[in-house]
Amino acid sequence: MSTAALHAEHEAHHEHKESFISKYVFSMDHKMISKQFLITGIIMGMIGMIMSLLFRLQLAWPDDQFSIIEMLLGKWGVDGKLDPNFYMGLVTIHGTIMVFYVLTAGLSGTFSNLLIPLQVGARDMASPFMNMLSYWFFFMSSVVLLISVGVETGPASGGWTVYPPLSALDKAMPGSGLGMTLWLVAIVLFIVSSLLGGINYISTVLNQRTKGMSMNRMPLTIWAFFFTAVLGLLSFPVLLGAGLFLIFDRSFGTSFYLSDIYLEGVGALENIGGSPVLYQHLFWFLGHPEVYIILMPALGITSEVISNNARKPIFGYTAMIISLLGISFLSFIVWGHHMFITGMNPFLGSVFMILTLIIAVPSAVKAFNYLTTLWRGNLRFTPAMLFSIGLVSFFISGGLTGIYLGNAALDIQMHDSYFVVAHFHLVMGSAAIFGMFAGIYHWFPRMYGRMMNNTLGYFHFWITFITAYLVFFPMHFMGLAGVPRRYYQFTLVEDFDVWVDVNKLITVSAIIAGFAQLLFLYNFFISIFRGKKSAQNPWGANTLEWTSPIDVRLHGNWPGELPTVYRGPYEYSRPDREEDFFPQHIPDESAPEVLETEKSKKAPAEKEAEAETSVFFAAVKRVFGLG
Amino acid sequence: MAAADVVEAPQEFNPSAWDWNTILTLSLILLVILVIARAFDIGSLTEKISGKRIVSSHKINGWIAIVFLVLGLIGVWYEMVYHGKYVMVGNAASEHGATYDSMFMWTFGFTFVVFIVTEVLLFYFMFRYSYREDRKALYYFHNNKLEVIWTIVPAIVLTFLVLRGFNTWSKITSSDNEDAQEIEVFAYQFGWKARYAGADGKFGDNSFTFISGTNPLGLAVEGSVDELTQSLNDEIAALEALVASADDSAAVWKARLVNFEAQGRQRAYPEEYKKIREMAMDAESGAYVRGLEKEIKRKSTNVKRIAKFRADEKMFNKAGYDDKVVTEIVLVKNQPYVFKFRARDVIHSAYMPEFRAQMNCVPGMSTQFAFTPIKTTDEARAEKGNPEYDYYLYCNKICGAAHYNMKIKITVVDNQAQYESWLAQQAPVVAPVEAPAAPVAPEAPAAPETPAVAIN
Ligand code: HEM
Ligand SMILES: [Cu+2]
Ligand SMILES: [Cu+2]
Repeated sequence: MSTAALHAEHEAHHEHKESFISKYVFSMDHKMISKQFLITGIIMGMIGMIMSLLFRLQLAWPDDQFSIIEMLLGKWGVDGKLDPNFYMGLVTIHGTIMVFYVLTAGLSGTFSNLLIPLQVGARDMASPFMNMLSYWFFFMSSVVLLISVGVETGPASGGWTVYPPLSALDKAMPGSGLGMTLWLVAIVLFIVSSLLGGINYISTVLNQRTKGMSMNRMPLTIWAFFFTAVLGLLSFPVLLGAGLFLIFDRSFGTSFYLSDIYLEGVGALENIGGSPVLYQHLFWFLGHPEVYIILMPALGITSEVISNNARKPIFGYTAMIISLLGISFLSFIVWGHHMFITGMNPFLGSVFMILTLIIAVPSAVKAFNYLTTLWRGNLRFTPAMLFSIGLVSFFISGGLTGIYLGNAALDIQMHDSYFVVAHFHLVMGSAAIFGMFAGIYHWFPRMYGRMMNNTLGYFHFWITFITAYLVFFPMHFMGLAGVPRRYYQFTLVEDFDVWVDVNKLITVSAIIAGFAQLLFLYNFFISIFRGKKSAQNPWGANTLEWTSPIDVRLHGNWPGELPTVYRGPYEYSRPDREEDFFPQHIPDESAPEVLETEKSKKAPAEKEAEAETSVFFAAVKRVFGLG
Repeated sequence: MAAADVVEAPQEFNPSAWDWNTILTLSLILLVILVIARAFDIGSLTEKISGKRIVSSHKINGWIAIVFLVLGLIGVWYEMVYHGKYVMVGNAASEHGATYDSMFMWTFGFTFVVFIVTEVLLFYFMFRYSYREDRKALYYFHNNKLEVIWTIVPAIVLTFLVLRGFNTWSKITSSDNEDAQEIEVFAYQFGWKARYAGADGKFGDNSFTFISGTNPLGLAVEGSVDELTQSLNDEIAALEALVASADDSAAVWKARLVNFEAQGRQRAYPEEYKKIREMAMDAESGAYVRGLEKEIKRKSTNVKRIAKFRADEKMFNKAGYDDKVVTEIVLVKNQPYVFKFRARDVIHSAYMPEFRAQMNCVPGMSTQFAFTPIKTTDEARAEKGNPEYDYYLYCNKICGAAHYNMKIKITVVDNQAQYESWLAQQAPVVAPVEAPAAPVAPEAPAAPETPAVAIN
């Protein structure tokens, strides 16, 4: 369909007044859906964080009573003491919420939805309807998960990885009853949502790019979202399979994961022939890509924000893409590093070790490229920039400890210790959360047409950054001293007494971090209504999202023709230009082609985007109703 | 709050006041920050870009970065000194531990250098290149040479680490030591048991179908297994009786429910009411009978399986009668061991950090780990200056509510004699009262069977 035709259709569309429901609830506008994901993600994040604070209280003051625990948890907090079963439940739901609901749906859902159409120059997602479904499945999934926290026997409590047999047998622990059933239902809904979203992201990136937006002119955000969606599309179905088998084992008497089990108070079970380790293989076949599903969008956002605020081209654009590609590919063949000590063949362990350590190379390339981008830049410290730099710091600190854990030999000692908790909270938790904050601060004007308060942002950043290190850095030492994770308290082991003070420090820091998030919430919600009106392109950015009017809500993104793209997204501080940025859509009539960028050497290729529309893409278009 | 008033405070400070005070204090601090932010609202960036105003917030953040860097490095150093000393390195109590520790130190060396260099650069750049109106950033897209270098160099370092890791891993996991003594370590919710072979050096066979209250490891002991069959059959009979009288019991429950409601007691006794109603509903819907039948099926499967094994004479060869099932692991210094792990309910993990050893214990799957202890408990105590110190094996795979308290003591003794005298004090598995009753084909080159007293 030609742009003009689209435009005409859009005009027609604009005529009728949208009802509240179709505008805010069952909206098919990617910008609104992105806000829905964001708000839901923020709410889930708050819940997940409060959970972590509650169980951190228990770890720091195991002998004390907290009225707040009794008040919030009722029968699980009798006398102000957290119940051990519920402790496990909180840890599990905290992990589940953070990994899936905040950093998968909240992060990808928000920014893929917002940025893919706007940055590639499309009127909307390939299938706005599927996009809407994607959000509502996510919403239902969130609701089911939260309900599961309130059921009588408590929520799923076997850890976010829900390994059977623990999770398969309702007599093995209370949380494996109804709570676990709801957990599985929630995850199935979540997977559906994730697949609907992913298919959309991929087809939009492949098919809906505007004139001149060849793949090698796409911002790194888009590349990251694209690879992320591919990873999700290939790995989430495996989790679905794993979950279905678990559902069968739990409810229909099959024995996929169960064998030779005797349960205290029940007796020997009938199941034989299954393998609990099978579940772990299936789970981690998703589980490992999942950590990159979390991290890569954050890295993409960071690339964009750092380049923009350093007023400098991102260093090694191609290398960045290749390393994303390398990470994506390798992430499918390293899942075994979570299973070194399950008793698998030592040779297999060696293979997984080698593959895992190879991933460190593209990761290192990314870190060095970020550093070089900062070098001799002109760094504008917006809150978004600070959070991006924070991400780089966490990515380095947490990534380096991956080199220990990926080493099968070292993992013997470190597996499931607090060292692991430190590692993944830095490299995946903190880094990705910071990427998300960077994205929120950076694109807030694009979402709401207003600015967030900078000074509050600075406070938010520095307090969160410092406390995050205070929370997670000491955990390395606990882990290296042999302190296991997922322990309700440590006082029963005399050797762990030395960590009591550290645990207090960690908890106090976590509480401060928690309160700092209130600054963010205040800033966010107040700015939606009262923030200063934003200029059209407040950050002096090159990318297309700042060319679509930000003060009116347009379903269709651009009032007239779609913008045409003439160059790559990172032309900052070109020596031949007065301004320190050069938006992608501005034709360079006079600009001499003297620069050492390979992108600028190519004449603006009008036909390029069209040429890529192969038979396959045409078919995809047809299927998703793009005609 | 109310609840905190009810409980008498065991500590001298009042915890309920504690958490509310904290919340109050932090909220106040937040308010102060809000006020500061409003008061000093440093001009927004929009203005800066259009209005060409130098905004000092860039300088400020640059300086904070430097302060953070310095304090952070001090913090890292502090942690290394004050908590680094608890890190398990250089003091391994097992032979392979030294190899492990050296692998650790190599990895630490490389990563620490990279950590310091990159983090210092990061924060230094923040300071050095903070925004100035009069400067333009370097227009610099890529540098192939540089990029190749920092791809190749990490690759080389990682290759080194991989090769070393590969060696270490192979050394640790190859357990083909002929002299190694086997010990079975058995995990259950929530505890550990260890089993030593008796004088014959052979372990008796086992199956999860044999597990019972008196035979927690499911060993092939005739008396105990027959007793289990008997009691399972009794239970099945009892359940069948319940099924037979299900109609009556449904009527009874229904009557009770009607009665309860008629008397209007559901308000006063909600718990009882709920229970009665549930029972009545289950009885009516047939869920009650289905549950019973499921139990019967499960139990008869177990009986059938036991019967099949019971016919297997190899399994019931009495090799296990002299095995010792113990609640403490005793090892001899410098003696190689192979630990065979079993779990009966859910996955557990045997974690022995001092020995740099860990292995999952998986129901239905046997796993193993081999190591040689090289430091006795006494030596470790002397080293730590703590006469109470003991080695432990911890559970390190989430396994339920008491996961955090699932451990077993490991004692490493100096010589074989100490070990043997300890082992001699432990009771053998066999329950000798039942032994004569069992119809045994006297095929074993039986050491004169001591009709020992029942020990348990
Ligand atoms: C306020 C900040 C946070 C604090 C204080 C915190 C603290 C903790 C603690 C103490 C545990 C339990 C560790 C254990 O015993 O195994 C835990 C588990 C976990 N956390 Fe966090 N966390 C925070 C934020 C996050 C974030 C942002 C993520 C996102 C990835 C995350 C993901 C997880 C996961 C996956 C687990 C493992 C749950 C399990 O063991 O099944 N956390 N967290
Ligand atoms: Cu992984
Ligand atoms: Cu356990």
